[in-house]
Amino acid sequence: MTTNANASSSQAAIAAAASSEAPARRRRRRVGTDRTNWPATILLLLGALTILAPLYVTVAMSLKTTAQAVDGTAFTLPNPINLASFAEAWEMIDFTRGFLISTAVTIVTVAGTIILAAWASYAIVRNWDRRFFRWSFFYLLAAMFIPFPVVALPQVRLTGILGLDNPVGVAILHIMFQLSFSILLFTAFLRSLPEELEESARLDGATTWQVFWKLVFPLLAPMSATVAIFAFLASWNDFMMPSLITADPRDQTLPVLQSIFQNQFQNNYNVAFASYLMAMAPAIIVYLFTQRWVLSGVTQGAIK
Amino acid sequence: MTESTPVLGSRRIAASATLPGSPAEPDLPEMTVTPSRTAPDPLGRARLARRSLFAGGAVLGTAALAGCSSSSGTTLFFHETKSEAFPFFTQAIADFNAQADGITVVHNKTGSLSAAFVRSSPPDVGCLNYNLEMARFMERGALIDLADMEETKRIRPDVQDLVDEYPGFEDRVSVIPYSIMAASTIYNRTLFQEHGLEVPTTWDELLAVCEAFRSAGVTPFYATLADPWTVAQGWFDYAVGGMVDVAEFFRAMNEAGPDVTPDSEVSFSAVMREPVEKMMQLLEYINPDAASRGYGDGNTAMAGGAGAMYLQGPWAFGEIDKVGVPTDMGTFPLPMTENPDDRKVRVNTDLALWIPEASGHHEESKALVRYLMQPDVQHPYNKEQLGFSTTTDAPPAEDPRIAEMQTYYDEGRFYQGPSKFIPLMIPAENYFQAIATGADIGATLAQLDNDWARLAFRQ
Repeated sequence: MTTNANASSSQAAIAAAASSEAPARRRRRRVGTDRTNWPATILLLLGALTILAPLYVTVAMSLKTTAQAVDGTAFTLPNPINLASFAEAWEMIDFTRGFLISTAVTIVTVAGTIILAAWASYAIVRNWDRRFFRWSFFYLLAAMFIPFPVVALPQVRLTGILGLDNPVGVAILHIMFQLSFSILLFTAFLRSLPEELEESARLDGATTWQVFWKLVFPLLAPMSATVAIFAFLASWNDFMMPSLITADPRDQTLPVLQSIFQNQFQNNYNVAFASYLMAMAPAIIVYLFTQRWVLSGVTQGAIK
Repeated sequence: MTESTPVLGSRRIAASATLPGSPAEPDLPEMTVTPSRTAPDPLGRARLARRSLFAGGAVLGTAALAGCSSSSGTTLFFHETKSEAFPFFTQAIADFNAQADGITVVHNKTGSLSAAFVRSSPPDVGCLNYNLEMARFMERGALIDLADMEETKRIRPDVQDLVDEYPGFEDRVSVIPYSIMAASTIYNRTLFQEHGLEVPTTWDELLAVCEAFRSAGVTPFYATLADPWTVAQGWFDYAVGGMVDVAEFFRAMNEAGPDVTPDSEVSFSAVMREPVEKMMQLLEYINPDAASRGYGDGNTAMAGGAGAMYLQGPWAFGEIDKVGVPTDMGTFPLPMTENPDDRKVRVNTDLALWIPEASGHHEESKALVRYLMQPDVQHPYNKEQLGFSTTTDAPPAEDPRIAEMQTYYDEGRFYQGPSKFIPLMIPAENYFQAIATGADIGATLAQLDNDWARLAFRQ
């Protein structure tokens, strides 16, 4: 969703820039006095609104008192500002522990996805002429069409038997489900890397292992960033898999712990939104620092 | 269990770090290298970062896992997901842990119950809403027999009858009812007094009250039709329960099973038609924006005096209080006939305690159940949550908001919500919502009959 919006808005921006630039040059206007492209601007503003309005409600709600939160007016400013909801949310779901477990699961997922997908893609792309590798590529991609709910019950049973009904099992399953899409991205990117680079490394005596780690993996960095972002979002935000797989309630991840706020019989908006805000923060911070690579990664994947 | 999990778990972390033997790369034996072998290579920052990521993940993972083995003795998992009751049970469990030797109870507020049963590691004690969905566990004998516990003998016989209305397993006492919620029409005493109106005891009186409020410019009923469950719980159940013998009706329906047709003598079409038509008559007296109002809106509106009556249960009082406006409210059973003796309140077993067969700690679990069933634990709970205790020694409810229902409860003038007898596989709540918002009554009830017969046939 977000990527789509970003991609289309950046296209719109490019189109807007192109259309306003050409006539400007013809009329020899100075830079900065171009007419504003109102249709594009309005579209972009509307796009921004779909993000900003819910974000505003989240922040405003988390700062309200319970009485203000249930009065049916989501957009009003909190008055007085009440910070107690954050403390209450923190207490209610043992936030520290949930946060650490979510973080651990996410880190293992991101690292595991990058490594495994990069290895698999490298092997597949460089052996494309061999049937076994072609077919294993299709086999891995086929997993994209198997959603988790379909295999949920066998997975629950299997992880239970293997003693993996804990965050470790969740991380492994996250990696598995992230693998096919990541391999798709990596293989597309790997095909664009000139094989001559690797051949020259081989001439210098590098083994396959060294070629991969010293040459290919660093070159994969932009795509690794993209893969990492997707793996991060999928793992950090996942609700269903940890809720089904993890047996011990103390080892649950944040999205599952936060489900206690979502209840058709109870409104606890201020505490719920305070908790959501705290859980959203890492995702937003990660995005702020990595958006450059995300966007470049998306376009790189798109072209090749 | 908790002792062995971390060991297995940490071994798995190590395994996940050296997973290259996975079917993705079967021909790369030289790549099955442990991280330590790659270490001597003078590699770039990327790999360093990768290794520290791994290390970080492993450390965090093991730290998290080490946490579960810190407790000694037996660890019991107590599954209770009613969020309003979290503070109470958190305290009760802390008290129990302090006095019980070698037992540590962990409160499970989240997680999937079905998944836990599939995994054969269900919670040791369940404290859940008792409804038709529980029947699937009882029917299959997944819950142990509690008949030998003294506590079961203190349960009121008519409450036990309610429990037995759902299918069980042989003669087992699979659950101990913990809290009964009695629900009926919530009314705003202040508004009734202001307009000089009495609580209606017959159908005609009810219509007169509605007319009086309407002519005085007060919305008689505040309805929240946007939430299907509120239509089923309040409008449908109160209307049907006030006219029909619910338990008997569903006994006959279950017996007929696949033979139910809209033309049968016992069918939704035949028996529910009149109550539903009366429900539609009452729906003339609701707020004009009801179709777009949900449960939360309703509570806010009732706190602000936007309606005189509200078809909800006592659970709504806690939400109404959140608005922070002092209100004076009470409850009365919705009169659906001309005979005041027909008035009954709708009840449901809000919480019931049970112990699964698959739990490895039956005795310890029974100790917890015994603790929770103590009068000085159970009765304060019900007082706080505006429920009724299930035992013969229960004190009467004092809270003015529900006290008016005490006589009905004591005299056994209650019925279990009819919508709760319909399996969730039939979207009954949505059918009732459709009727309330204008769908054809006959066609919708016929649909319900057909669904019932089809489901019975399939099973």
